[in-house]
Amino acid sequence: MSASAFSQFLKREFDRRRDVNLRFSLRAYATLLDTDHATISQILRGARKVPILHLRRWASTLGLTKEAASVYFAAEQTQEQSRRERLFREWSTEGLALLEDPAHWHIIRLSRQPDFQADSRWIAAQANLTIDSVNMAFSRLLRLKLIHAPGPNRWIDQTGLESLTEQSFYQLALTRIRPQLKKDPQCPTL
Amino acid sequence: MPNPVMQFQILSSQPDAAATFYRDLFDWQVSQDNALGYREIKTGSDEGIQGGIWPSPPNVPNFTQLFIAIDDIDAKAAAAQAKGAKILIPPTTLPDGGAVAILLDPFGMSFALLRRPA
Repeated sequence: MSASAFSQFLKREFDRRRDVNLRFSLRAYATLLDTDHATISQILRGARKVPILHLRRWASTLGLTKEAASVYFAAEQTQEQSRRERLFREWSTEGLALLEDPAHWHIIRLSRQPDFQADSRWIAAQANLTIDSVNMAFSRLLRLKLIHAPGPNRWIDQTGLESLTEQSFYQLALTRIRPQLKKDPQCPTL
Repeated sequence: MPNPVMQFQILSSQPDAAATFYRDLFDWQVSQDNALGYREIKTGSDEGIQGGIWPSPPNVPNFTQLFIAIDDIDAKAAAAQAKGAKILIPPTTLPDGGAVAILLDPFGMSFALLRRPA
């Protein structure tokens, strides 16, 4: 998680106080800000976002003017909005690529056939696709761990679906994208 | 062992057009005669490295990756991950028996690990 402007300000203020008084502790800082030690520690380490509801109060406590506090508040909001937009954009781009290019489904479907050939040209011919479409889909399936290539000329379906249908494949593939977002601590709750 | 850069890879939203551009500009040979239909680039020189062109994901600007030779692709991918890299495509065996993995370094740049065929 990248440190926000205000969390960097908090860090500078803490460092400034310690420059004046080496015994100024994180606990003392937490007390000053009327919060708990764990919260301020996580914020200064960049492991936690600044609680937006506390920002104005902390800014006032640390001597910032209302205008300066407003700038930091706007920066926090903008950073959060940008993060959400990036996550939604990535999610929708990947999701749409899955939904709109049938190559993903065809690769998985064909991989289960006894006469399957791990050859993008063969797959393209079988499913009436372009080779580039097959390769882009292959890359995405690898990324989502829906297929594995453990040996030359071996592509193994990793969906784990006993009953493979087009619907069951898309349902699984789309949920594979969302968990990747959920693991991101910056992912908003949808 | 040393880890030389073995090839470059251009990722392009218009791979055919990119192949034509570079082929015509530099007299490079571009061939898709392999199981992946991969646009292999031969520069025609023993100097430098050879390359290839792969179709890029949607909404991503065209870019170039470097393929770096390693011995143990699983170990090196894990080592990179321990240093903050992200594995985008896990170790994947290629038709020639080699293997490739695509990673994102901690600074946002992608690169590839390449285990050459035995």
